[in-house]
Amino acid sequence: MINTNNLLRILSLFITFVCTTAVIAQEKSKDTITVYKKKVLESTEVDLLMSYYTQDGDNAAVTGGIGTEELTDLTPTIVVSIPLNDDDVLTIDASVSAYTSASSSNVNPFDGEGVADPFVASSGASQEDVLTTLATSYSHSSDDRNDIWSVNAAIASEYDYFSIGFGGGYTKLFNEKNTEISVKGNVFLDTWNAIYPSELRDQPSFIPFEDESRNSYSLGLGFSQILSEKLQGSLALDIIHQEGLLSTPFQRVQFADVTDFNIPGQPFVYGDDIERLPETRFKIAAGGRLHYYINEIFVIRTFYRYYTDNWGINSHTASIEVPVKITDQFTIYPSYRYYQQTAADYFAPFNEHLSTQKFYTSDYDLSDFDAHQYGFGISYTDILTKFHIWKFRFKSVDLRFNQYERSTGLTASIVSGGLSFVVE
Amino acid sequence: MKKITIVSAILIFLGSCATVKEYEKVNINDPDMELTSKKISRFETNFQAYREAAAGANGGKTGGGCGCN
Repeated sequence: MINTNNLLRILSLFITFVCTTAVIAQEKSKDTITVYKKKVLESTEVDLLMSYYTQDGDNAAVTGGIGTEELTDLTPTIVVSIPLNDDDVLTIDASVSAYTSASSSNVNPFDGEGVADPFVASSGASQEDVLTTLATSYSHSSDDRNDIWSVNAAIASEYDYFSIGFGGGYTKLFNEKNTEISVKGNVFLDTWNAIYPSELRDQPSFIPFEDESRNSYSLGLGFSQILSEKLQGSLALDIIHQEGLLSTPFQRVQFADVTDFNIPGQPFVYGDDIERLPETRFKIAAGGRLHYYINEIFVIRTFYRYYTDNWGINSHTASIEVPVKITDQFTIYPSYRYYQQTAADYFAPFNEHLSTQKFYTSDYDLSDFDAHQYGFGISYTDILTKFHIWKFRFKSVDLRFNQYERSTGLTASIVSGGLSFVVE
Repeated sequence: MKKITIVSAILIFLGSCATVKEYEKVNINDPDMELTSKKISRFETNFQAYREAAAGANGGKTGGGCGCN
């Protein structure tokens, strides 16, 4: 658990560290440098991205911690970065995430043609949904490129969720651009259109949520430093406060002290209640990256993050990626990521909670687990952008595959692809 | 006291770093040395935000904007 003293201690240490380093860096950069003003972004760039994600497991939260977690998702995305002048860049980012989910289909397991079974996806209308996201950001750089201001805004919408977000940030570079500090803030004002499990909706004893809003406030601090001609690193600290409806309204909980009920011949067990979680959550994530250029062929990219929150979850994440340049155009990206977390104080598996508890969930995303992720990617880059279609000059193509294996039994695969163009 | 000692040691270490001039940054400027993830990695960061409780400090979602954890 986090207490105020620990938070203040972490925050003061981080700020002391960043400020002192900035002063050292500034002292070093007092020599005047004549800077040639280059455009921040030479031409409009367009990225066409796509991912196909699939997962399966046996611990669906929508059916109380047992049942199929089968899900597939296709996400086409377009990102356009437009130079408005020498100093300003506007970026527009639009994506559509279309998914088919056994979990969401079992919000109502009785609307299909087969028997109601937590391990079988219902074929009813609730099995599909679309998340549409539109985000835009605007950045302005000073003439010497040592100060960068940015603002951003985003909206996202799906059948049972709507989000509006906005924020801003400031970045300062020192010491001949060897040192960088940044601060950013974001606010998300989200609203659920709560969909409850079908068998609970009309029960007199069921208490729906009164407040369906979820607000999130985050403050991010960053620091990066070039350590030598081949080594650079960064530190990041994110502090997040959330309030409102932090439970997922359609996720069931079955109590150990309430008799299970199911329709004869149908394995599906009626939910006793939905998950109920506190209305506030405070998170701290601190991470660092260290990248080392070994030679013209190999680079090592490493990342570590520690995370803690006041729901009792502590987590460690470590990853390594080793880009290997096979030729001037082709690079391959083998990677490995390890993740571990402790369970939330409010988690228990299927039928282990008691109805006398105030908070409860059987969502295995909040359980105690570790996970391994193995990745491989390949990238082709045409530095001279020789190939073109109309005004679009081809810049690069990327393809990645990642396999994710969680100790709870959940497995997932994701294939991602991207095409980058420069507009003449 | 231990944390202050560690931070001080890091500061001394950083203070001893020689400034790398612009013309010496050919390796640092390699695209694979960037201290951010490639655009295409966003999809991995995104699904992790749903399947894991931890988020933040990696350039991805920190909470909000989705019905995720």
